[in-house]
Amino acid sequence: MSLVEVLASIVFYPPIYQLVIVGLIVTLGVVIIILWFERKATARVQRRLGPYHVAPKLAGMPQLLADLLRYAFQEIIIPRTVDRGVFITAPIIATVLSILPIAVVPFTSIPDYWPIPMDYSVLVALAISTVSPIFLVLAGWASNNKFSIIGGVREAFIITAYELIAILSILSVSAATLSFNFIDIVNAQMNTAWFIILNPIAFMAAFLAVLMSTSGFPFEIPESENEVVAGPFTEYSGILYGLNMGAAYMKRFAFSIILAVAFLGGWSPLTPGEGILYGYLLPSIVVIIKAFILMMVFSFLRSVYGRYRLDQALQGAWRLVFPMALIGFGIGIIEAYLGLT
Amino acid sequence: MPARPVAKALPKRRGLFEGFKGNIAAISLGVKYLIDPKRFTLIYPNEYIKLDPGYRGFIVLEKKKCINCSSCARICPAAAMKMIKLPEPDPRHPGKTKIKLWPVINYQRCIFCGYCVDVCPTEALYHVPYHDIVYENLAEMDWDLETFTKPPDYPTASEGMPVKYIVDEERGLVKVKAQEGEQ
Repeated sequence: MSLVEVLASIVFYPPIYQLVIVGLIVTLGVVIIILWFERKATARVQRRLGPYHVAPKLAGMPQLLADLLRYAFQEIIIPRTVDRGVFITAPIIATVLSILPIAVVPFTSIPDYWPIPMDYSVLVALAISTVSPIFLVLAGWASNNKFSIIGGVREAFIITAYELIAILSILSVSAATLSFNFIDIVNAQMNTAWFIILNPIAFMAAFLAVLMSTSGFPFEIPESENEVVAGPFTEYSGILYGLNMGAAYMKRFAFSIILAVAFLGGWSPLTPGEGILYGYLLPSIVVIIKAFILMMVFSFLRSVYGRYRLDQALQGAWRLVFPMALIGFGIGIIEAYLGLT
Repeated sequence: MPARPVAKALPKRRGLFEGFKGNIAAISLGVKYLIDPKRFTLIYPNEYIKLDPGYRGFIVLEKKKCINCSSCARICPAAAMKMIKLPEPDPRHPGKTKIKLWPVINYQRCIFCGYCVDVCPTEALYHVPYHDIVYENLAEMDWDLETFTKPPDYPTASEGMPVKYIVDEERGLVKVKAQEGEQ
C-alpha cells in the first residue's frame, strides 16, 4: 500500500470522515460561508452593501474570518455570580451534540462506508438532535442573569413547540417507506420521486420546525437582541459566545443534512459505485451541496421576515404547523398503503 | 378624570389562504430585491459626491479685491471671522509702514452660513464646493491670512471618483457618475 492509500483509508474511515472532516471542517466552512451569505443577502434586500471593505474583490468574505479570529482570541470573562462549571461546559456540550447527528446519517449506499449499522438511523439521528437544546436552557440558567433566564425559558417554550413537529414530520418519510433506515429511504426516492414532491406538507412542517429549533429568523425568539440582550448567551464572551452562536448554525447544518437525505433524495442523481471516490466522496459532496442550498434558503428568510412574538410562534406552531405535520404523516401512511413508494 | 376602561377586541384573524398569500408575496419581493438590489451606497473614500457651485463650503479670500472694510467680521454670527492688524509699506510715504486690517477665519467656530460672502461689497470672499477636509489638531483649524488666501487642498478629489445622485421614477435614488465638464 502506498502512502496515499494509507492516508485515504485513514481519512475515509467512516467515523473519522463523518465526524472530523464533514462534522468539523466542512461544517465550519459552511457556517462561515452561510454567515457571509446571510449578511450579504440581507444587505442586498435592504439596499445596503454589506461586508465590503476587507476585500472588495471577494465581496468582503474575509470579514467573517476576521470575526472568527476576534472571537477566538477575545478574553473570556466569567462573572463571579455564575455557576462556573455549568457555565463553561454547557456551550461546549451543546456544540458537540448539535453536530453529532451527522455521524449517523449515511452519505452512501455502500455498506463499507456506513458509520454505524443502519437499521434505526432515522430514530438515532432525531434522538441525538433533541438533546442539545437542553444545554442552551442550562446555559441560560447557569448565567444567573434575568435576561439569560428569560431567554432560557423562551428556548424551553420553543422546544416544546418544535420538537414533536420535527420528529413527526421527518418520521412521515419512515411511514411511507416502512423503514427507519436512511438507505431504504434514499433508495425509495431514487425509484420513484423525491419526498419533497411526494409529501410537500411534511417537508414544509419539517422546514419550519428546523427554523424554530435553530432560531432562524421569523422564530429568532430566545436570543432576540432588542428584547432580551442575547437571551441565554448574555453573559458569554469570547470563544464561548462564538460556540453558542455557531452551535445554532451547526445544528441547522446537521438538520439540513437530515432533510437533504430524507426529503431531497440524498445522493440521488448519483448512483454510488466502486471505490472511495465514486462510492463515498462524490455522494457525500452531493448531499452536502443539497444541505448547503437548504441552508441558503433558511438564511435568506432572515432578510424577509421580522420576529414573531413568543405567543404568536407557539400559536402558529400548535395550531398550524402541528396539524400540517399530522397531515404529512397521514399522507405518508396513505402512500405506503397505496404502494407508491 | 381616570382613564375609562375600553374593551379591546382582537383583530380579526385572516384566513389560511390570505396568510399564505402574504408570505409568498413577501418572499417573492425579497427574491426580487436579491436579484436586483437597487442600492445606492456611497463608497466614500473611493467615491464622493460632486457638489454644485452654489454650495456653502470652505471660504477663501481674494486678497486683491479686499478693501479691509471689516463687514465680514462684523456680520459673522459665530464670531469666527476676525480682523487682524498687519503692518505693510505705505505707498504714499516711502520708508514708513501703515497698519491694515485683514480678515482671518477660525473653522472651529465657523457655521458655514455664508453671511460674510453675501455681505462682502467687492466679492472678495467666495465658497469652494467642498467641505470634507480633516485636520490633525484644533490649532490647524484656526487659519492665518496666508492659508485663507488660497483654496485648501482637497485630497478626496484626487483619490476618489465624483458621483451624483439623481431621482429616478422607477428606481428611486440612483447614483450616476458625474460628468467631467459639468459643474
